Amino acid sequence: MNQQDMGDPRTTGGVHQRRNRAWLRWVPAVAAPAVIAAGVLVGSIPARAGDALADKTPADVLALLAGHKTHTFSGTIEQASELGLPELPATGPSSGPASDDPAASAIEMLTGEHTARVFMDGKAKARIQVVDRFAERNIIRRDNDVWFYSSKDNSTAHLTLPDHARDLPLEGPALPGTSPESATPEGSMVPPTPQDLAAKFLAAADSTTAVSVGPDVQVAGRAAYNLVLEPRTGNTLVGMISIAVDGETGMPLSVEVTARGAGEPAFRTGFTSLSLDAPDAALFNFVPPPGSPVEELQFQHPTHQAAGPGSSGYPEAHTDPDQLAAGIKDKAGSYLAGTGWETVVELPTETGAGAKLSTALAQNPLLGQAAVVVPGGRLLSSALFNVLLTDDGRVFAGMVPADRLQAASSAP
Amino acid sequence: MPSSANAKEKSNAAGMAAVAGPRGAGMSLLLSEIAVLFRRRRTWALLLALAAIPVLIAVAVRVSSAVPPGRGPAFLDRITQNGLFVAFTAMLVSVPLFLPLTVGVVAGDTIAGEANLGTLRYLLVAPAGRVRLLLVKYAGALAFCLAAPLTVALAGAAIGAALFPVGPVTLLSGDVIQPPEAVLRLLLISAYLAVSLAGLSAIGLFLSTLTVVPVGAMAATVVLSVVSQVLDQLPQLEWLHPWLFSHYWLGFGDLLRQPVLWDSFASNAPLQAGYVAVFGALAYGRFVTKDVLS
Repeated sequence: MNQQDMGDPRTTGGVHQRRNRAWLRWVPAVAAPAVIAAGVLVGSIPARAGDALADKTPADVLALLAGHKTHTFSGTIEQASELGLPELPATGPSSGPASDDPAASAIEMLTGEHTARVFMDGKAKARIQVVDRFAERNIIRRDNDVWFYSSKDNSTAHLTLPDHARDLPLEGPALPGTSPESATPEGSMVPPTPQDLAAKFLAAADSTTAVSVGPDVQVAGRAAYNLVLEPRTGNTLVGMISIAVDGETGMPLSVEVTARGAGEPAFRTGFTSLSLDAPDAALFNFVPPPGSPVEELQFQHPTHQAAGPGSSGYPEAHTDPDQLAAGIKDKAGSYLAGTGWETVVELPTETGAGAKLSTALAQNPLLGQAAVVVPGGRLLSSALFNVLLTDDGRVFAGMVPADRLQAASSAP
Repeated sequence: MPSSANAKEKSNAAGMAAVAGPRGAGMSLLLSEIAVLFRRRRTWALLLALAAIPVLIAVAVRVSSAVPPGRGPAFLDRITQNGLFVAFTAMLVSVPLFLPLTVGVVAGDTIAGEANLGTLRYLLVAPAGRVRLLLVKYAGALAFCLAAPLTVALAGAAIGAALFPVGPVTLLSGDVIQPPEAVLRLLLISAYLAVSLAGLSAIGLFLSTLTVVPVGAMAATVVLSVVSQVLDQLPQLEWLHPWLFSHYWLGFGDLLRQPVLWDSFASNAPLQAGYVAVFGALAYGRFVTKDVLS
């Protein structure tokens, strides 16, 4: 500033001039917030892709999605959900939300917001990092070795995949997080990736589903087709599922599930950043850190598992309500009522998920409170799926309104 | 206000008045400001109080039995195996209150302290100009923002190395880095915290132009930092959270991942820059139109 600034302004000019100046001096104080507000507004306008994607029919987009071979990338996935379930966060900056209670852990993964970094180099090398505040859960797969690491208690678990399981089509694009869940430490559950969910919902997309292509979207800075699945029935809680399919590679970039009649998605997972370059190879070399106890896990081949009635595939996967919600359609016949989106599944109570869920409800006060007493049992209700625990101990679940669960439970 | 500081402020003002030429004045004013700041007994007391935090933590862990994993602040259970974790724990502990407290004291004192001592008009007699004085005062506060977390980090690393073994550091991702890289990460975290405190310093600078009672500006700055953190805890105000200057303060944990996650820094830096711009402009508006009578 120049000489006029120094000292008392009264000495530098007439009163009138000083008033003028005084007014001008406040201009930056008004301009700075205005510029910031303008910048934020401009930034919040969704960026339109310069080069629009060529128009494609739903069948073309489905083919693009089915044909995608992107198994080398690194990216960040963010998941947010408003399911109406109680959030089970561990408060305080020091503690991550990882919980010892498997059901709470699953619900924790399903509710609230989560960030995960995913690194993949081909089908056999993968690393998923679930980012918590001052904590992290890692799953690292390198060929036959799968490592689980939780920073919260500095614990490590190791699993050796047998050779015949090496090329096992682990659900999704070989993501170890969705490998046979009986083998994963319960605390290490990871949020489902867009690939997982897209695969599951597409498996459900049959004649009961209307498939269309919406206006192109931008996900993680990439132009993507917006594949929209709409159940043709009114007897489901799901209103619409949008899958963003990368226009270039066909990779699913995000999945949004909107409940029937709702305006905003109840569940959303998608990439916020994505790079198709190969990640640093050192990321997949995991050595248990010093002082960390290593638990050796036994691989259980899905078909070797004690096959209870109705357990086709991964029975334990039921404990993850997300998979329960998403994968209900694939589960076994004798326990099912309804078809397609109206499917109601009865969970085997003696062994698997039904029993676990009952115990979890009994033990976890938050979950217990969330379960409402209804005629015939207790209902755990969310925006996208319902779970009914009948008074005689059976467990029914489905992406359907509660009355259909009750009807299924009272059916002979 | 200690009388020795009073005398030093006066010598500072007198020294600056002697400097000739407006261009050279800025640099020497800055050097003189920083020298005065770090020669003050109060600044040393603040830094010593910060250094006491890791010492207390380390001694407490040393004399008590092992901390079970998952209890207390993050990293606390790692200290017995690796002394460097004292520094990480101490930084985590000092972020919510101690760092904002000390920064609030320094930033709140910038202009109001001079006005209170009656030295402000001497400074304004020098051909430096009000804007330059404001910039220099803010730069001094920033220097303290850098020194404060650095003090915690270095004191933590030193006391940790003295009381516990030092070895490879396990990151949150489970990867292991060697001590030199761990020290580098410590410095990175200090820099992250310095950036995080820049917005609060700008708020303190503005509040300091409003009053001639430095304690008032200090207290208001510290109270604002607490209010911001309380608001950050209320889920009903979720839309507001990304706009709170304290929102990313604890995001420095992302620098302890492998590879380093820069997302919180990328969100934090523009946010702090925005606070600096807004409150810097407010401080400018207030200070250049202010009648300086003391």
